Amino acid sequence: MNFKEFLKDKILFLILFLLGLLAIEIFLIPYPFANFIKIYIPVSLLFLVIISLMIEYFTKRKFYQNISQIMEELEEKYLITEIIKKPDFVEGKLFKIWLEEIDKSMYENVNRYKYLTQDYKDYIELWIHEIKTPIATSKMVIENNKNAVTKSIDEELDKIENYIEQALFYARSNTVEKDYYIKKVCLKEIVNESIKKNKNALMQEKIKIQLSDLEEIVNTDSKWIVFILNQILQNSCKYHKPEKDLTIEIFAKVGKENVTLSVKDNGVGMKNSEISRVFEKGFTGTNGRKSNKKSTGIGLYLCKKLCDKLGIGIEVDSVEEEGTEVRLVFPIGSYSNF
Amino acid sequence: MQKILIVEDDEKLRNELEIFLNHNGYQAESLKKFDCTIQDILQVHPDLLLLDINLPNADGEFICKEIRKQSEMPIIIITSRDNEIDELISINYGADHYVTKPFNIQILLAKIASILRRTNVEISNQDKIDCKEFILNISKSTIIKENREIELTKNELKILRYLVEQREKIVSREEIMERLWDTDSFIDDNTLSVNITRLRNKLEELGLKELLETKRGQGYMLKRGEN
Repeated sequence: MNFKEFLKDKILFLILFLLGLLAIEIFLIPYPFANFIKIYIPVSLLFLVIISLMIEYFTKRKFYQNISQIMEELEEKYLITEIIKKPDFVEGKLFKIWLEEIDKSMYENVNRYKYLTQDYKDYIELWIHEIKTPIATSKMVIENNKNAVTKSIDEELDKIENYIEQALFYARSNTVEKDYYIKKVCLKEIVNESIKKNKNALMQEKIKIQLSDLEEIVNTDSKWIVFILNQILQNSCKYHKPEKDLTIEIFAKVGKENVTLSVKDNGVGMKNSEISRVFEKGFTGTNGRKSNKKSTGIGLYLCKKLCDKLGIGIEVDSVEEEGTEVRLVFPIGSYSNF
Repeated sequence: MQKILIVEDDEKLRNELEIFLNHNGYQAESLKKFDCTIQDILQVHPDLLLLDINLPNADGEFICKEIRKQSEMPIIIITSRDNEIDELISINYGADHYVTKPFNIQILLAKIASILRRTNVEISNQDKIDCKEFILNISKSTIIKENREIELTKNELKILRYLVEQREKIVSREEIMERLWDTDSFIDDNTLSVNITRLRNKLEELGLKELLETKRGQGYMLKRGEN
Protein backbone atom coordinates (compact mmCIF):
# COMPACT_ATOMS: atom_id res chain seq x y z
CA MET A 1 0.00 0.00 0.00
CA ASN A 2 1.46 3.36 -0.97
CA PHE A 3 0.23 6.84 -0.13
CA LYS A 4 -1.55 7.27 -3.44
CA GLU A 5 -3.57 4.10 -2.95
CA PHE A 6 -4.37 5.19 0.57
CA LEU A 7 -5.63 8.62 -0.65
CA LYS A 8 -7.69 6.94 -3.34
CA ASP A 9 -9.34 4.95 -0.60
CA LYS A 10 -10.14 8.18 1.26
CA ILE A 11 -11.33 10.12 -1.78
CA LEU A 12 -14.97 10.36 -0.72
CA PHE A 13 -14.01 11.69 2.70
CA LEU A 14 -11.61 14.24 1.16
CA ILE A 15 -14.17 15.53 -1.36
CA LEU A 16 -16.85 15.89 1.32
CA PHE A 17 -14.39 17.56 3.61
CA LEU A 18 -13.35 20.08 0.92
CA LEU A 19 -17.02 20.70 0.12
CA GLY A 20 -17.58 21.33 3.84
CA LEU A 21 -14.75 23.85 3.90
CA LEU A 22 -16.27 25.57 0.87
CA ALA A 23 -19.66 25.68 2.60
CA ILE A 24 -18.10 27.25 5.69
CA GLU A 25 -16.38 29.89 3.52
CA ILE A 26 -19.67 30.68 1.73
CA PHE A 27 -21.43 30.80 5.07
CA LEU A 28 -18.84 33.24 6.40
CA ILE A 29 -19.01 35.69 3.41
CA PRO A 30 -21.80 37.93 4.74
CA TYR A 31 -20.09 38.34 8.14
CA PRO A 32 -17.54 41.11 8.69
CA PHE A 33 -14.78 38.87 10.13
CA ALA A 34 -11.17 39.66 9.51
CA ASN A 35 -9.75 37.93 6.50
CA PHE A 36 -7.25 36.35 8.89
CA ILE A 37 -10.01 34.36 10.57
CA LYS A 38 -11.59 33.44 7.26
CA ILE A 39 -8.30 31.82 6.24
CA TYR A 40 -7.34 30.48 9.69
CA ILE A 41 -10.41 28.27 10.11
CA PRO A 42 -10.08 26.19 6.88
CA VAL A 43 -6.28 25.98 7.10
CA SER A 44 -6.27 24.74 10.66
CA LEU A 45 -9.03 22.23 9.90
CA LEU A 46 -7.16 21.00 6.83
CA PHE A 47 -4.00 20.73 8.91
CA LEU A 48 -5.73 18.60 11.54
CA VAL A 49 -7.24 16.35 8.88
CA ILE A 50 -3.88 15.88 7.16
CA ILE A 51 -2.22 14.95 10.47
CA SER A 52 -4.93 12.44 11.32
CA LEU A 53 -4.71 10.95 7.81
CA MET A 54 -0.92 10.70 8.12
CA ILE A 55 -1.17 8.91 11.46
CA GLU A 56 -3.72 6.49 10.03
CA TYR A 57 -1.57 5.91 6.96
CA PHE A 58 1.55 5.11 8.94
CA THR A 59 -0.15 2.74 11.40
CA LYS A 60 -1.78 0.85 8.56
CA ARG A 61 1.36 0.83 6.47
CA LYS A 62 3.36 -0.63 9.32
CA PHE A 63 0.80 -3.38 9.81
CA TYR A 64 0.43 -4.27 6.14
CA GLN A 65 4.16 -4.20 5.51
CA ASN A 66 4.65 -6.54 8.43
CA ILE A 67 2.11 -8.93 6.90
CA SER A 68 3.49 -8.84 3.40
CA GLN A 69 7.02 -9.39 4.66
CA ILE A 70 6.00 -12.40 6.73
CA MET A 71 3.96 -13.65 3.79
CA GLU A 72 7.04 -13.68 1.62
CA GLU A 73 9.23 -15.44 4.15
CA LEU A 74 6.68 -17.92 5.40
CA GLU A 75 6.53 -21.26 3.65
CA GLU A 76 3.24 -22.41 5.13
CA LYS A 77 1.31 -19.23 4.57
CA TYR A 78 -1.77 -20.33 6.46
CA LEU A 79 0.19 -20.00 9.71
CA ILE A 80 0.24 -16.21 9.32
CA THR A 81 -2.45 -15.55 11.92
CA GLU A 82 -0.18 -17.06 14.54
CA ILE A 83 2.67 -14.72 13.70
CA ILE A 84 1.34 -11.22 12.93
CA LYS A 85 1.20 -8.57 15.67
CA LYS A 86 -2.19 -7.61 16.98
CA PRO A 87 -3.41 -4.66 14.88
CA ASP A 88 -4.53 -1.51 16.75
CA PHE A 89 -7.23 -0.36 14.35
CA VAL A 90 -10.71 -1.67 14.06
CA GLU A 91 -10.71 -3.29 10.57
CA GLY A 92 -7.42 -4.97 11.40
CA LYS A 93 -8.78 -6.37 14.62
CA LEU A 94 -11.90 -7.65 12.90
CA PHE A 95 -9.92 -9.23 10.10
CA LYS A 96 -7.59 -10.97 12.50
CA ILE A 97 -10.54 -12.48 14.33
CA TRP A 98 -12.07 -13.60 11.03
CA LEU A 99 -8.82 -15.00 9.75
CA GLU A 100 -8.43 -17.02 12.91
CA GLU A 101 -11.88 -18.44 12.45
CA ILE A 102 -11.20 -19.23 8.80
CA ASP A 103 -7.98 -20.98 9.80
CA LYS A 104 -9.74 -22.98 12.42
CA SER A 105 -12.38 -24.22 10.05
CA MET A 106 -9.71 -25.00 7.46
CA TYR A 107 -7.72 -27.03 10.02
CA GLU A 108 -10.82 -28.93 10.88
CA ASN A 109 -11.48 -29.66 7.25
CA VAL A 110 -7.88 -30.67 6.55
CA ASN A 111 -7.80 -32.84 9.63
CA ARG A 112 -10.95 -34.57 8.54
CA TYR A 113 -9.29 -35.48 5.25
CA LYS A 114 -6.09 -36.46 7.01
CA TYR A 115 -8.10 -38.76 9.19
CA LEU A 116 -9.98 -40.18 6.22
CA THR A 117 -6.73 -40.84 4.32
CA GLN A 118 -5.09 -42.42 7.34
CA ASP A 119 -8.16 -44.50 7.95
CA TYR A 120 -8.15 -45.68 4.35
CA LYS A 121 -4.43 -46.40 4.43
CA ASP A 122 -4.83 -48.41 7.63
CA TYR A 123 -7.64 -50.36 6.04
CA ILE A 124 -5.58 -51.08 2.91
CA GLU A 125 -2.67 -52.30 5.00
CA LEU A 126 -4.94 -54.46 7.10
CA TRP A 127 -6.62 -55.85 4.00
CA ILE A 128 -3.27 -56.63 2.42
CA HIS A 129 -2.14 -58.48 5.51
CA GLU A 130 -5.39 -60.39 5.61
CA ILE A 131 -5.18 -61.49 2.00
CA LYS A 132 -1.67 -62.81 2.45
CA THR A 133 -2.93 -65.77 4.44
CA PRO A 134 -5.24 -67.12 1.72
CA ILE A 135 -2.45 -66.60 -0.82
CA ALA A 136 -0.02 -68.49 1.40
CA THR A 137 -2.61 -71.22 1.83
CA SER A 138 -3.22 -71.47 -1.93
CA LYS A 139 0.51 -71.74 -2.48
CA MET A 140 0.70 -74.54 0.05
CA VAL A 141 -2.15 -76.38 -1.65
CA ILE A 142 -0.32 -76.02 -4.95
CA GLU A 143 2.91 -77.27 -3.40
CA ASN A 144 1.13 -80.36 -2.12
CA ASN A 145 -0.58 -80.98 -5.47
CA LYS A 146 2.02 -80.20 -8.09
CA ASN A 147 0.98 -80.57 -11.70
CA ALA A 148 0.76 -78.53 -14.88
CA VAL A 149 -2.55 -76.94 -13.87
CA THR A 150 -1.48 -75.88 -10.41
CA LYS A 151 1.82 -74.67 -11.81
CA SER A 152 -0.08 -72.35 -14.07
CA ILE A 153 -2.26 -71.16 -11.17
CA ASP A 154 0.93 -70.61 -9.20
CA GLU A 155 2.20 -68.23 -11.86
CA GLU A 156 -1.02 -66.26 -11.70
CA LEU A 157 -0.80 -66.17 -7.92
CA ASP A 158 2.64 -64.65 -8.30
CA LYS A 159 1.13 -61.90 -10.38
CA ILE A 160 -1.56 -61.30 -7.79
CA GLU A 161 1.12 -61.17 -5.14
CA ASN A 162 3.04 -58.57 -7.13
CA TYR A 163 -0.01 -56.37 -7.59
CA ILE A 164 -0.81 -56.63 -3.89
CA GLU A 165 2.72 -55.73 -2.98
CA GLN A 166 2.54 -52.73 -5.29
CA ALA A 167 -0.65 -51.59 -3.56
CA LEU A 168 0.95 -51.99 -0.14
CA PHE A 169 3.98 -49.94 -1.08
CA TYR A 170 1.80 -47.35 -2.79
CA ALA A 171 -0.20 -46.95 0.41
CA ARG A 172 2.99 -46.61 2.38
CA SER A 173 4.84 -44.40 -0.07
CA ASN A 174 3.74 -41.15 1.55
CA THR A 175 4.86 -42.17 4.98
CA VAL A 176 8.11 -43.95 4.21
CA GLU A 177 9.75 -42.29 7.20
CA LYS A 178 7.46 -44.18 9.59
CA ASP A 179 8.15 -47.50 8.02
CA TYR A 180 11.78 -47.91 7.36
CA TYR A 181 14.54 -49.48 9.28
CA ILE A 182 18.01 -48.86 8.02
CA LYS A 183 20.79 -51.33 8.50
CA LYS A 184 23.87 -52.58 6.70
CA VAL A 185 22.90 -54.92 3.88
CA CYS A 186 24.96 -56.75 1.32
CA LEU A 187 23.75 -56.01 -2.21
CA LYS A 188 24.04 -59.71 -3.01
CA GLU A 189 21.44 -60.55 -0.37
CA ILE A 190 18.84 -58.13 -1.70
CA VAL A 191 19.48 -59.06 -5.32
CA ASN A 192 19.19 -62.78 -4.54
CA GLU A 193 16.00 -62.23 -2.63
CA SER A 194 14.33 -60.33 -5.39
CA ILE A 195 15.42 -62.82 -8.06
CA LYS A 196 13.99 -65.63 -5.98
CA LYS A 197 10.78 -63.70 -5.58
CA ASN A 198 10.45 -63.45 -9.34
CA LYS A 199 11.64 -66.99 -9.94
CA ASN A 200 8.58 -68.21 -11.78
CA ALA A 201 8.40 -65.29 -14.18
CA LEU A 202 12.14 -65.25 -14.85
CA MET A 203 12.31 -68.98 -15.40
CA GLN A 204 9.28 -69.00 -17.64
CA GLU A 205 10.91 -66.44 -19.92
CA LYS A 206 14.10 -68.55 -19.88
CA ILE A 207 16.14 -65.64 -18.70
CA LYS A 208 19.85 -65.83 -18.26
CA ILE A 209 21.05 -64.05 -15.17
CA GLN A 210 24.58 -62.81 -14.70
CA LEU A 211 25.58 -61.49 -11.32
CA SER A 212 28.92 -59.87 -10.62
CA ASP A 213 30.63 -57.67 -8.02
CA LEU A 214 27.75 -57.71 -5.60
CA GLU A 215 29.75 -57.95 -2.39
CA GLU A 216 29.28 -54.25 -1.58
CA ILE A 217 27.53 -53.27 1.61
CA VAL A 218 25.14 -50.33 1.74
CA ASN A 219 23.08 -48.70 4.47
CA THR A 220 19.43 -48.99 3.58
CA ASP A 221 16.13 -50.69 4.26
CA SER A 222 16.30 -53.97 2.38
CA LYS A 223 12.49 -54.44 2.14
CA TRP A 224 12.09 -51.27 0.11
CA ILE A 225 15.05 -52.04 -2.14
CA VAL A 226 13.79 -55.56 -2.76
CA PHE A 227 10.46 -54.06 -3.78
CA ILE A 228 12.17 -51.59 -6.13
CA LEU A 229 14.30 -54.36 -7.66
CA ASN A 230 11.16 -56.47 -8.10
CA GLN A 231 9.56 -53.73 -10.18
CA ILE A 232 12.70 -53.41 -12.31
CA LEU A 233 12.99 -57.17 -12.84
CA GLN A 234 9.31 -57.45 -13.69
CA ASN A 235 9.76 -54.75 -16.29
CA SER A 236 12.67 -56.65 -17.79
CA CYS A 237 10.52 -59.78 -17.97
CA LYS A 238 7.64 -57.87 -19.52
CA TYR A 239 9.64 -56.04 -22.16
CA HIS A 240 11.98 -58.68 -23.48
CA LYS A 241 12.44 -59.39 -27.15
CA PRO A 242 10.71 -62.65 -27.93
CA GLU A 243 13.17 -63.57 -30.70
CA LYS A 244 16.22 -63.10 -28.51
CA ASP A 245 17.44 -64.90 -25.37
CA LEU A 246 16.95 -62.46 -22.56
CA THR A 247 19.94 -61.75 -20.38
CA ILE A 248 19.81 -59.66 -17.25
CA GLU A 249 23.11 -58.47 -15.88
CA ILE A 250 23.19 -57.20 -12.32
CA PHE A 251 26.39 -55.62 -11.06
CA ALA A 252 27.65 -52.94 -8.70
CA LYS A 253 30.24 -50.25 -9.15
CA VAL A 254 31.88 -48.35 -6.34
CA GLY A 255 32.34 -44.63 -6.82
CA LYS A 256 33.89 -42.04 -4.55
CA GLU A 257 30.72 -41.15 -2.72
CA ASN A 258 28.32 -43.84 -3.80
CA VAL A 259 27.71 -47.42 -4.84
CA THR A 260 25.79 -47.94 -8.06
CA LEU A 261 23.71 -51.05 -8.56
CA SER A 262 22.87 -51.66 -12.21
CA VAL A 263 20.24 -53.92 -13.68
CA LYS A 264 20.84 -54.22 -17.39
CA ASP A 265 18.75 -56.21 -19.82
CA ASN A 266 18.78 -56.77 -23.56
CA GLY A 267 15.07 -56.25 -24.04
CA VAL A 268 13.13 -54.00 -26.36
CA GLY A 269 14.41 -50.75 -24.87
CA MET A 270 12.69 -47.42 -25.15
CA LYS A 271 12.52 -44.50 -27.53
CA ASN A 272 14.92 -41.73 -26.59
CA SER A 273 12.08 -39.28 -26.23
CA GLU A 274 10.31 -41.47 -23.70
CA ILE A 275 13.18 -42.12 -21.30
CA SER A 276 12.74 -38.89 -19.39
CA ARG A 277 9.09 -39.63 -18.81
CA VAL A 278 9.29 -43.19 -17.43
CA PHE A 279 9.01 -42.00 -13.82
CA GLU A 280 5.78 -40.11 -14.49
CA LYS A 281 2.69 -41.56 -12.91
CA GLY A 282 0.56 -43.37 -15.44
CA PHE A 283 3.09 -43.06 -18.25
CA THR A 284 3.00 -46.21 -20.34
CA GLY A 285 4.99 -45.33 -23.47
CA THR A 286 4.83 -47.00 -26.85
CA ASN A 287 5.89 -50.37 -25.44
CA GLY A 288 3.37 -50.29 -22.63
CA ARG A 289 0.51 -49.67 -25.02
CA LYS A 290 1.33 -52.69 -27.15
CA SER A 291 -1.44 -55.24 -26.95
CA ASN A 292 -0.42 -57.73 -24.29
CA LYS A 293 1.78 -55.77 -21.95
CA LYS A 294 -0.85 -54.41 -19.59
CA SER A 295 1.36 -51.61 -18.41
CA THR A 296 -0.08 -49.57 -15.55
CA GLY A 297 2.51 -46.83 -15.41
CA ILE A 298 2.78 -47.25 -11.67
CA GLY A 299 5.88 -49.43 -11.17
CA LEU A 300 8.66 -47.01 -12.01
CA TYR A 301 6.70 -44.04 -10.67
CA LEU A 302 6.60 -45.76 -7.29
CA CYS A 303 10.28 -46.70 -7.56
CA LYS A 304 11.23 -43.09 -8.11
CA LYS A 305 9.02 -41.88 -5.28
CA LEU A 306 10.44 -44.42 -2.84
CA CYS A 307 14.02 -43.76 -3.96
CA ASP A 308 13.53 -40.04 -3.36
CA LYS A 309 12.27 -40.72 0.12
CA LEU A 310 15.09 -43.14 0.87
CA GLY A 311 17.73 -40.76 -0.45
CA ILE A 312 18.73 -43.11 -3.26
CA GLY A 313 19.29 -42.01 -6.84
CA ILE A 314 17.56 -43.82 -9.69
CA GLU A 315 18.54 -43.45 -13.33
CA VAL A 316 17.40 -45.08 -16.54
CA ASP A 317 19.36 -45.49 -19.74
CA SER A 318 17.95 -47.18 -22.77
CA VAL A 319 18.58 -47.79 -26.42
CA GLU A 320 15.63 -48.80 -28.52
CA GLU A 321 15.84 -52.44 -29.68
CA GLU A 322 19.03 -52.92 -27.59
CA GLY A 323 17.98 -52.88 -23.98
CA THR A 324 17.52 -50.91 -20.81
CA GLU A 325 19.74 -50.23 -17.83
CA VAL A 326 18.33 -49.05 -14.52
CA ARG A 327 20.79 -47.82 -11.92
CA LEU A 328 20.24 -47.35 -8.22
CA VAL A 329 22.77 -45.02 -6.64
CA PHE A 330 23.34 -45.55 -2.92
CA PRO A 331 25.23 -42.82 -1.10
CA ILE A 332 28.05 -44.08 1.11
CA GLY A 333 28.41 -42.90 4.67
CA SER A 334 25.94 -40.09 4.42
CA TYR A 335 22.72 -41.35 5.85
CA SER A 336 22.55 -38.15 7.86
CA ASN A 337 20.20 -36.70 5.29
CA PHE A 338 17.41 -39.15 6.00
CA MET B 1 12.11 -88.35 13.05
CA GLN B 2 12.01 -84.76 14.13
CA LYS B 3 8.85 -83.26 15.44
CA ILE B 4 7.62 -79.91 14.19
CA LEU B 5 4.71 -78.17 15.86
CA ILE B 6 2.59 -75.79 13.80
CA VAL B 7 0.77 -73.07 15.69
CA GLU B 8 -1.38 -71.29 13.13
CA ASP B 9 -5.02 -70.36 13.43
CA ASP B 10 -5.90 -70.63 9.75
CA GLU B 11 -7.12 -74.21 9.58
CA LYS B 12 -6.48 -74.82 5.91
CA LEU B 13 -2.98 -73.38 5.92
CA ARG B 14 -2.24 -75.44 9.03
CA ASN B 15 -3.42 -78.66 7.39
CA GLU B 16 -1.52 -78.01 4.17
CA LEU B 17 1.65 -77.22 6.08
CA GLU B 18 1.22 -80.42 8.04
CA ILE B 19 0.83 -82.47 4.86
CA PHE B 20 3.81 -80.78 3.28
CA LEU B 21 6.12 -81.28 6.25
CA ASN B 22 5.02 -84.88 6.67
CA HIS B 23 5.85 -85.49 3.01
CA ASN B 24 9.26 -84.02 3.53
CA GLY B 25 10.42 -86.30 6.26
CA TYR B 26 9.26 -84.54 9.39
CA GLN B 27 6.65 -85.47 11.92
CA ALA B 28 4.35 -82.48 11.88
CA GLU B 29 1.67 -81.76 14.44
CA SER B 30 -0.52 -78.77 14.98
CA LEU B 31 -2.51 -77.15 17.73
CA LYS B 32 -6.23 -76.94 17.11
CA LYS B 33 -7.19 -74.88 20.14
CA PHE B 34 -5.56 -71.72 21.34
CA ASP B 35 -6.85 -71.41 24.91
CA CYS B 36 -3.65 -72.25 26.69
CA THR B 37 -1.21 -72.19 23.82
CA ILE B 38 1.97 -71.87 25.84
CA GLN B 39 1.28 -74.91 28.03
CA ASP B 40 0.22 -76.93 24.98
CA ILE B 41 3.40 -76.09 23.14
CA LEU B 42 5.57 -76.98 26.10
CA GLN B 43 3.69 -80.22 26.55
CA VAL B 44 4.19 -81.33 22.94
CA HIS B 45 7.81 -80.26 23.21
CA PRO B 46 8.63 -80.23 19.49
CA ASP B 47 12.10 -80.06 17.95
CA LEU B 48 10.99 -76.94 16.15
CA LEU B 49 8.07 -74.57 16.43
CA LEU B 50 6.36 -72.78 13.55
CA LEU B 51 4.53 -69.91 15.17
CA ASP B 52 2.00 -67.53 13.65
CA ILE B 53 2.05 -64.00 15.08
CA ASN B 54 -1.68 -63.32 14.96
CA LEU B 55 -3.40 -65.83 17.16
CA PRO B 56 -6.88 -65.63 18.69
CA ASN B 57 -6.06 -65.48 22.38
CA ALA B 58 -2.46 -64.42 22.68
CA ASP B 59 -0.05 -62.57 20.54
CA GLY B 60 2.72 -64.63 18.98
CA GLU B 61 5.46 -62.37 20.23
CA PHE B 62 4.27 -62.84 23.78
CA ILE B 63 4.14 -66.63 23.33
CA CYS B 64 7.64 -66.54 21.90
CA LYS B 65 8.93 -64.63 24.92
CA GLU B 66 7.21 -66.92 27.40
CA ILE B 67 8.49 -70.08 25.74
CA ARG B 68 12.02 -68.75 25.71
CA LYS B 69 11.86 -68.45 29.49
CA GLN B 70 11.36 -72.20 29.75
CA SER B 71 12.72 -73.80 26.61
CA GLU B 72 15.43 -73.43 24.02
CA MET B 73 13.39 -75.00 21.20
CA PRO B 74 14.01 -73.34 17.80
CA ILE B 75 11.18 -71.02 16.80
CA ILE B 76 10.33 -69.81 13.31
CA ILE B 77 7.80 -67.02 13.25
CA ILE B 78 5.29 -66.79 10.39
CA THR B 79 3.63 -63.47 9.85
CA SER B 80 1.89 -61.37 7.27
CA ARG B 81 3.38 -58.14 8.60
CA ASP B 82 6.48 -57.40 6.71
CA ASN B 83 8.43 -54.56 8.13
CA GLU B 84 11.85 -54.75 9.64
CA ILE B 85 10.73 -53.47 13.02
CA ASP B 86 8.42 -56.47 13.51
CA GLU B 87 11.25 -58.73 12.47
CA LEU B 88 13.56 -57.09 14.98
CA ILE B 89 10.99 -57.41 17.78
CA SER B 90 10.48 -61.10 17.02
CA ILE B 91 14.18 -61.81 16.98
CA ASN B 92 14.57 -59.89 20.24
CA TYR B 93 11.90 -62.07 21.79
CA GLY B 94 13.99 -65.08 20.95
CA ALA B 95 12.73 -66.29 17.58
CA ASP B 96 15.37 -67.97 15.42
CA HIS B 97 13.92 -66.95 12.12
CA TYR B 98 11.13 -64.90 10.63
CA VAL B 99 9.22 -65.58 7.42
CA THR B 100 6.53 -63.45 5.86
CA LYS B 101 3.42 -64.76 4.13
CA PRO B 102 3.15 -65.79 1.39
CA PHE B 103 6.38 -67.64 1.93
CA ASN B 104 8.48 -69.60 -0.49
CA ILE B 105 7.94 -73.07 0.87
CA GLN B 106 11.24 -74.48 -0.41
CA ILE B 107 13.13 -71.73 1.33
CA LEU B 108 11.18 -72.37 4.51
CA LEU B 109 12.05 -76.04 4.23
CA ALA B 110 15.73 -75.24 3.76
CA LYS B 111 15.59 -72.90 6.75
CA ILE B 112 13.97 -75.58 8.92
CA ALA B 113 16.64 -78.06 7.88
CA SER B 114 19.47 -75.67 8.59
CA ILE B 115 18.12 -74.64 12.00
CA LEU B 116 17.56 -78.27 12.97
CA ARG B 117 21.02 -79.19 11.78
CA ARG B 118 22.49 -76.54 14.03
CA THR B 119 20.48 -77.50 17.07
CA ASN B 120 20.55 -81.23 16.62
CA VAL B 121 23.78 -83.17 16.57
CA GLU B 122 22.25 -86.30 15.08
CA ILE B 123 21.52 -84.61 11.83
CA SER B 124 24.91 -82.98 11.52
CA ASN B 125 26.29 -86.44 10.78
CA GLN B 126 24.24 -86.17 7.61
CA ASP B 127 27.27 -84.51 6.05
CA LYS B 128 27.78 -87.75 4.18
CA ILE B 129 24.94 -89.43 2.39
CA ASP B 130 25.44 -93.12 1.68
CA CYS B 131 23.81 -93.87 -1.63
CA LYS B 132 24.95 -97.51 -1.85
CA GLU B 133 26.77 -97.14 -5.14
CA PHE B 134 28.64 -94.08 -3.92
CA ILE B 135 28.92 -91.77 -0.98
CA LEU B 136 28.04 -88.12 -1.32
CA ASN B 137 30.16 -85.96 0.96
CA ILE B 138 28.27 -82.71 1.29
CA SER B 139 30.67 -80.74 3.45
CA LYS B 140 33.63 -81.54 1.16
CA SER B 141 31.53 -81.44 -2.02
CA THR B 142 32.82 -84.77 -3.37
CA ILE B 143 31.56 -88.15 -4.49
CA ILE B 144 33.42 -91.16 -3.16
CA LYS B 145 33.51 -94.73 -4.43
CA GLU B 146 35.98 -97.29 -3.16
CA ASN B 147 38.73 -94.86 -2.19
CA ARG B 148 38.30 -92.78 -5.30
CA GLU B 149 37.10 -89.27 -4.68
CA ILE B 150 35.98 -86.77 -7.31
CA GLU B 151 35.25 -83.15 -6.60
CA LEU B 152 31.95 -81.60 -7.56
CA THR B 153 31.24 -77.96 -8.24
CA LYS B 154 28.67 -76.18 -6.09
CA ASN B 155 25.92 -76.59 -8.68
CA GLU B 156 26.76 -80.21 -9.46
CA LEU B 157 26.55 -80.99 -5.76
CA LYS B 158 23.16 -79.34 -5.45
CA ILE B 159 21.82 -81.19 -8.51
CA LEU B 160 23.13 -84.57 -7.41
CA ARG B 161 21.84 -84.07 -3.89
CA TYR B 162 18.39 -83.30 -5.20
CA LEU B 163 18.47 -86.33 -7.49
CA VAL B 164 19.54 -88.50 -4.56
CA GLU B 165 16.67 -87.17 -2.44
CA GLN B 166 14.23 -87.90 -5.28
CA ARG B 167 15.83 -91.21 -6.17
CA GLU B 168 14.02 -93.40 -8.68
CA LYS B 169 11.63 -90.59 -9.45
CA ILE B 170 11.67 -88.58 -12.62
CA VAL B 171 12.79 -85.09 -11.88
CA SER B 172 12.02 -82.43 -14.47
CA ARG B 173 14.55 -79.86 -15.56
CA GLU B 174 12.32 -77.16 -14.15
CA GLU B 175 12.25 -78.77 -10.72
CA ILE B 176 16.04 -78.94 -10.69
CA MET B 177 16.31 -75.35 -11.78
CA GLU B 178 13.82 -74.22 -9.18
CA ARG B 179 15.76 -76.02 -6.51
CA LEU B 180 18.96 -74.30 -7.61
CA TRP B 181 17.32 -70.89 -7.81
CA ASP B 182 15.97 -71.31 -4.31
CA THR B 183 19.52 -71.76 -3.10
CA ASP B 184 20.87 -68.68 -4.89
CA SER B 185 22.29 -70.39 -8.00
CA PHE B 186 20.48 -68.68 -10.83
CA ILE B 187 21.42 -71.00 -13.66
CA ASP B 188 19.76 -71.03 -17.06
CA ASP B 189 18.74 -73.88 -19.28
CA ASN B 190 22.08 -74.23 -21.08
CA THR B 191 24.10 -74.17 -17.91
CA LEU B 192 21.88 -76.90 -16.50
CA SER B 193 22.59 -79.12 -19.53
CA VAL B 194 26.31 -78.51 -19.15
CA ASN B 195 26.16 -79.31 -15.44
CA ILE B 196 24.21 -82.51 -16.05
CA THR B 197 26.69 -83.66 -18.70
CA ARG B 198 29.64 -82.99 -16.41
CA LEU B 199 27.92 -84.75 -13.56
CA ARG B 200 27.27 -87.76 -15.74
CA ASN B 201 30.93 -87.81 -16.84
CA LYS B 202 32.07 -87.67 -13.24
CA LEU B 203 29.78 -90.55 -12.31
CA GLU B 204 31.11 -92.52 -15.28
CA GLU B 205 34.66 -91.83 -14.15
CA LEU B 206 33.77 -93.72 -10.99
CA GLY B 207 32.40 -96.55 -13.09
CA LEU B 208 28.79 -95.59 -12.45
CA LYS B 209 27.60 -95.74 -16.01
CA GLU B 210 23.98 -95.15 -16.86
CA LEU B 211 23.08 -94.34 -13.28
CA LEU B 212 21.85 -90.91 -14.30
CA GLU B 213 19.26 -91.51 -16.93
CA THR B 214 17.71 -88.95 -19.26
CA LYS B 215 13.98 -89.30 -19.73
CA ARG B 216 13.28 -87.54 -22.96
CA GLY B 217 10.85 -84.70 -22.64
CA GLN B 218 10.38 -85.40 -18.94
CA GLY B 219 13.66 -84.88 -17.15
CA TYR B 220 16.21 -87.02 -15.34
CA MET B 221 16.22 -89.93 -12.99
CA LEU B 222 18.84 -91.37 -10.71
CA LYS B 223 18.36 -95.12 -10.93
CA ARG B 224 19.34 -97.74 -8.43
CA GLY B 225 22.34 -99.87 -9.33
CA GLU B 226 21.83 -103.38 -10.68
CA ASN B 227 23.27 -105.15 -7.67
